[in-house]
Amino acid sequence: MAEKMKSPSVPSPIGESVPRLDALQKVTGEAVFTDDLQFGADLLYGRILRSPHPHARIKRLDASKALALPGVKALVTGDDCKDRFGLYLKDRYTFCKDRVRYVGDPVAGIVATSERLAEQACRLVEVEYEVLEPVLDPVQGAQDGAPLLHPNLKEYIVAPFIFPQHGSNISNYFKLRKGDVEGAWSKCNVIVEGAYRVPHVQHVPIEPHITVAKFDHSGNVTLWASSQSPFAQRDLIAGSLGISPNRVRVISSFVGGGFGSKAGVSMEALAVMMAQKVPGHPVKVRLTREEEFYCSFVRQGLVSNIKIGADEDGTLLAMQTEFYWDAGAYTEYGVNITRAAGYSCTGPYDVPNVWSDSYCVYTNHPVGGPMRGFGMPEIHWGIEQTMDQVAQKLGMDEKEFRLKNCIREGSITPTGSKMHALDLESCILKAAEAIDWGKQEPASAPHKRRGKGIAIMWKAPAMPPNAGSSSIVRFNEDGTVSVGIGGQELGQGSHTVAAQIAAATLGVPMDSIRISYPVDTQYSPYEWQTVASRLTWSMGNAIREAALDARRQILELAAEHWDEQPDDLDLHDGQVISYKSERSEPLKNLVVYGLPKEDDSGWRGGPIIGRGMFMPNYVSALDPETGQGPRAVVHFTPGCQAVDLEVDIETGQITLLRVSSAFDVGKAINPDQVRAQMEGGVVQGASTTLLEHLRLENGVPVNPNFTDYRIASTVDMPLKTIPIIVEVPQDDGPWGARGIGEHSMVPTAPAIANALADAVGLRIHDLPLSAERVFKALRDKEAAT
Amino acid sequence: MTTHKIALTVNGIQEQVEVPSNMTLLTMLRERLGLTGAKNGCAAGECGACTVMMNGEPVNSCLVLAVEAEGAEIVTVEGLSNENGLDGLQEAMIEVTGTQCGFCPPGGLISARALLDRNPSPSEDEIKDALRGNLCRCTGYVRILESVKQAAKGG
Amino acid sequence: MEVVSSGLPEFEYIHAESIEQASTFLLDESKDSRLFMGGTDLFVQMRAGARSPSLLVDVKHLPGMNDIQLKPDGSLHVGAAVNLNALARHEDVAEHYALLAEAAQSVGSYQLRSRATMGGNLCNASPAADTAPAALVLGARLIAQSGKDERSIPVEAFFLGPGETALQRGEILTRIEFPSPPKRSVGRYLKLGRNAAGDLAIVGVAVLGFPDDEAPSGYRFRLALSSVAPTPLLVPEVENILSGETMNDERIQAAARTAQQAAKPIDDVRATADYRSAMVEVYARRALKAVWAALRRDN
Repeated sequence: MAEKMKSPSVPSPIGESVPRLDALQKVTGEAVFTDDLQFGADLLYGRILRSPHPHARIKRLDASKALALPGVKALVTGDDCKDRFGLYLKDRYTFCKDRVRYVGDPVAGIVATSERLAEQACRLVEVEYEVLEPVLDPVQGAQDGAPLLHPNLKEYIVAPFIFPQHGSNISNYFKLRKGDVEGAWSKCNVIVEGAYRVPHVQHVPIEPHITVAKFDHSGNVTLWASSQSPFAQRDLIAGSLGISPNRVRVISSFVGGGFGSKAGVSMEALAVMMAQKVPGHPVKVRLTREEEFYCSFVRQGLVSNIKIGADEDGTLLAMQTEFYWDAGAYTEYGVNITRAAGYSCTGPYDVPNVWSDSYCVYTNHPVGGPMRGFGMPEIHWGIEQTMDQVAQKLGMDEKEFRLKNCIREGSITPTGSKMHALDLESCILKAAEAIDWGKQEPASAPHKRRGKGIAIMWKAPAMPPNAGSSSIVRFNEDGTVSVGIGGQELGQGSHTVAAQIAAATLGVPMDSIRISYPVDTQYSPYEWQTVASRLTWSMGNAIREAALDARRQILELAAEHWDEQPDDLDLHDGQVISYKSERSEPLKNLVVYGLPKEDDSGWRGGPIIGRGMFMPNYVSALDPETGQGPRAVVHFTPGCQAVDLEVDIETGQITLLRVSSAFDVGKAINPDQVRAQMEGGVVQGASTTLLEHLRLENGVPVNPNFTDYRIASTVDMPLKTIPIIVEVPQDDGPWGARGIGEHSMVPTAPAIANALADAVGLRIHDLPLSAERVFKALRDKEAAT
Repeated sequence: MTTHKIALTVNGIQEQVEVPSNMTLLTMLRERLGLTGAKNGCAAGECGACTVMMNGEPVNSCLVLAVEAEGAEIVTVEGLSNENGLDGLQEAMIEVTGTQCGFCPPGGLISARALLDRNPSPSEDEIKDALRGNLCRCTGYVRILESVKQAAKGG
Repeated sequence: MEVVSSGLPEFEYIHAESIEQASTFLLDESKDSRLFMGGTDLFVQMRAGARSPSLLVDVKHLPGMNDIQLKPDGSLHVGAAVNLNALARHEDVAEHYALLAEAAQSVGSYQLRSRATMGGNLCNASPAADTAPAALVLGARLIAQSGKDERSIPVEAFFLGPGETALQRGEILTRIEFPSPPKRSVGRYLKLGRNAAGDLAIVGVAVLGFPDDEAPSGYRFRLALSSVAPTPLLVPEVENILSGETMNDERIQAAARTAQQAAKPIDDVRATADYRSAMVEVYARRALKAVWAALRRDN
């Protein structure tokens, strides 16, 4: 097998499909998730009273009846909140103070001896609302004269790269101007324009959000949370309480799926404030599945207007995009999605003239937050369908058109920087070949039509320029190694990859490595957040640095002991060896107790602890007027998906026959897990394409449950899924690795839409491609012809 | 509210528990017996994370009252393995990387075990059909199916 | 919008000793009692606050409630508490009432069907009940007991509206009786959902067809629908259309149109009335064609 043939510069076990370290725990039920922790008889429960209105003023709140209920221990309301908090824009209080901005906005929290009792008490809280006019559409919300959700926006604390427009509902405006778009249109032979809409969807981790919080009598707080972001939570919650992060301890066990929903802070702050009222008692707050759908983060909706022009040879000349993000009631995290969309606005294409406006718009909808892809699935939905139409108008094959125009090493990105080495062409060729691109194949029945489609994508980790990782590598008495990390195992396999990187760097066997877990901010080294598909790359670099630091200490110790030079020594298979003297010593003999000096005159060395960190230091600010700058992001992972499908023209049902995915991951540290990410991404992508839509009627979610928000089950998966790895190394990734976690669901929706267009000659601009929507589009088309 | 004293067998062990009428089997297993393998994912019988075997048949334990389990034999994910080792399905799932976040396997493995008990060599469609009530958001199901196929071959 | 609770509200639970005793509980005006079978719908409704009975009367274990019996005359008696898996895999059901097995297996997931009962599926009187169209075309009779009195209700008279049945207060459905199916009959249940399988029906169509020498066409067909009217719906006109003249695609098309006209769908979160109406025609046609093809093959 190809993956076994490694170049000598890649040490074992890099590039090997070693089994997941956590698999045994996870198949036996032994793996501990937050709700599995036992807290004893002191445990109390918190439940939340939430706004029934999308937009209203709280005129009166009376909780006296609730507090009189035996077993009710405490009440929290907006009156208890000190400061606003947020990741990039501090725009929310934990509990609403005077105004509610979405159905589900927390109005009060009740702590009681049981969940049931807390819920009963919530129903006894009397709240009088003055209903306000809601904003239910991002385009309307962005206009002058729209009701303002955050009249005090100008007072909010904001990150330097986010640009709120005071006096409006626009909490971030990202502007990009490259070349001369207006001048370029006249040179285009083909111009295609269109508007595309993406509805709200939810992440749907199978484990709903849960937090247990406890204050001790000294005012220190501990959180046990299902979290992608223990450190960011520590920081943001400490900020909202006005205490030092050193007094906030976040402990996070395994996470039962995150996909972005458990990043930043959402419901965790509620539990903290409730626990503050009952020092000494842990307070458990868990979202019901129904709450999970509209009270944690959702993926923002998007209205995009896209215009693309090419010359007669099929070379892209100009592209203009306008993105209106339906970002919800609070956009503290969502503002950065708007930015990511702006600097990625062309998709993975080389376009000389680019104009983009990306608006983050407050609406009275659930809170938009990060979700797998961070804006990329949403913008590629329109971009990739428009590209297909440009190719078709030119009479070009859609694959060839993409090969001609796709981004390459040295291309200039929309923000004006030079593209790093990558191989999107191979991704296109391999994905297309895997579904026999170009070969017309018959449908399985007279009432079915078959079609093939392709879509490409890119995505960069979207994060502050200085998002850091760190790691601590500690040797144990027997030469085994504890690897301390702050990154979370969400299922993506980060523990296994972390162990591979440590083992390879230290020259010890895989089974010598143990990842220090769970993440505990009191002991674990700092990690910004487990988001942005950044762990293998960023945390991987930190682990490698820590391991190199430990390695250096060991080599120096052995060199001194043997009176040799460290450069002549190496670590191999758990031993320190000398290439010069051919001496060797098992690590267990020196990594904790050191080594005796000659003639019993003392000892040298001691417990070996390596420290390492990684923080990109080259990401620059962008000009607020043009979005241009030396380097907008750390890197882009590109890729391609190709879809072979059938559509039932009498019902509109789509069946996915084959879906191939090819991504340039730089270097697959664990190829099997890279493929697993591609397989999972395809089904999550297909599910959001064909089935999913959090339906909001006048701001009220009408399907916040599994009965009516359907996600793909086994019967909906593609009949065949083909994952393909392409590897062109990243200059600053560990052995060249880049992220892949999110990317695999980015091009799925437009690839399906392009295949549908191929099958029935029909363009659908709105998601999801439900059977009913496809059926109606087919019927309308028939009526029109 | 009245409580009920019930006796049942859980993973081969006799248990006696006193439960209120409205306690679900899932809550009893997790909070009274400390068996936290089965998970609460929706409390509506839709996600399947709470699936346990009750008298040889998989059920959503979130939709069964504890009091109904009087005299029942319950097997949870913790009971799939024993002193002789892992169930073949567990072994296969480890081998083919059939799990990612790990929240759904406790339920999925029970459904798969029940399938292989009633049909030792299921077709791909039969596997899909038997597991359609065990939602997974991570794996895309590819390797879950693969592990059932592999276990069926080995079993 | 309704706020859904994390768990079940408080209630008392009674493991009834007899149907008579259960019906006494149900008749007690001082209590909001509810018969309790599989709970798969009831518990979800209770969490949502849509129902809050103070007493659940469990009758699943009572004699006969779990029996499936093929009678010497070829009829089938199914205890109301027989779960849908047990029903679908029973040898006699699979052999003689394959339509019923197919309908039962289309419900939810395997683990849900371990608990969901045939009686519960009918008594909930959901327009989307998957076993209801099969019961309609098979001509089932529902045996209800109150105290010691028993009566038999034809299934066509059982469903009165969404959630409403012909059962009187205190009456308990104990058994569903299916007459011996017509000789060499073939049945199909086709269901459209959002997922490829396991969803609630947007449209469900059950068809039973059989050779009949007395019919001019040589065949008789019965067709019933789910999810497209306030109640599961038998469309008797289909039988007239398809028995009258020589069977062909046009006749089937006409029958499918008739089914479409009989349907009275509404808009809901799953689909619009418009789409449902169009799909009745498609699914009725497909089910009729599938059954006709099987009849020609088998007979």
